[in-house]
Amino acid sequence: MDVTDISTITPLELISLEEPPATKEGAIEFLLDLAVDAGRVDDRDAALDALLEREGEATTGVGFGIGIPHAKTDAVSKPTVAFARSAEGIDFDAMDDKPAKLLFMILVPAAGGEDHLQILSALSRSLMHEDVREKLLEAESKQTVQDVLAEVVE
Amino acid sequence: MERTVTVVPEDGLHARPASKFVETANKFDADVQLGRADEDDLVPAASMLAVTGLGVGHDESVRLVAEGDDAEAALDALEDILSTPEAKQ
Repeated sequence: MDVTDISTITPLELISLEEPPATKEGAIEFLLDLAVDAGRVDDRDAALDALLEREGEATTGVGFGIGIPHAKTDAVSKPTVAFARSAEGIDFDAMDDKPAKLLFMILVPAAGGEDHLQILSALSRSLMHEDVREKLLEAESKQTVQDVLAEVVE
Repeated sequence: MERTVTVVPEDGLHARPASKFVETANKFDADVQLGRADEDDLVPAASMLAVTGLGVGHDESVRLVAEGDDAEAALDALEDILSTPEAKQ
């Protein structure tokens, strides 16, 4: 399966430029609701449980102002990545204590094998570059965000 | 100094093992880097983002390179984490 088609993984409706809730759990629900509203999630509760269970295992606040909550769950039928950003920053329990400003939620079907790890590592690798982070923080349209993400997964 | 270690945890270097790994790398007076055993590129072991970016799975090998006063102790501790099936709580 091709996980590199960004318009399928992250259509524009999964991108938000609005300020999410200021708490980690609130922000995760905000990202999840982007996917729910887009009709990508069959069972919101199951998806949220999976995300929070993973979060309880170890934080997805990976530092550099980035949070990447993720889960494998049958609540989705195709790989789904939602994006939001916070101007204020959200405490994501990151080891470097930096509040998360760029938020990505990855949901992949339980049977998706290593898809979620592939997406996670591609995203993480590109986000190590400051210019990629800057572009996402400064993007003025959803289209710009999607264009940056398209380069990421190429 | 450096050594090559096979990643034992079922989920690979992700989630709890990765978190434990990065925490441990930060504890020592040593500069530790790691990379996939079959590639030359190295990334900082003390960065969760960098470690996540490597995407190392179960049964894959990584190369650990450490410099500094605690280099050997750091490598021992990190090897221990990578060799433990389930990271200790």
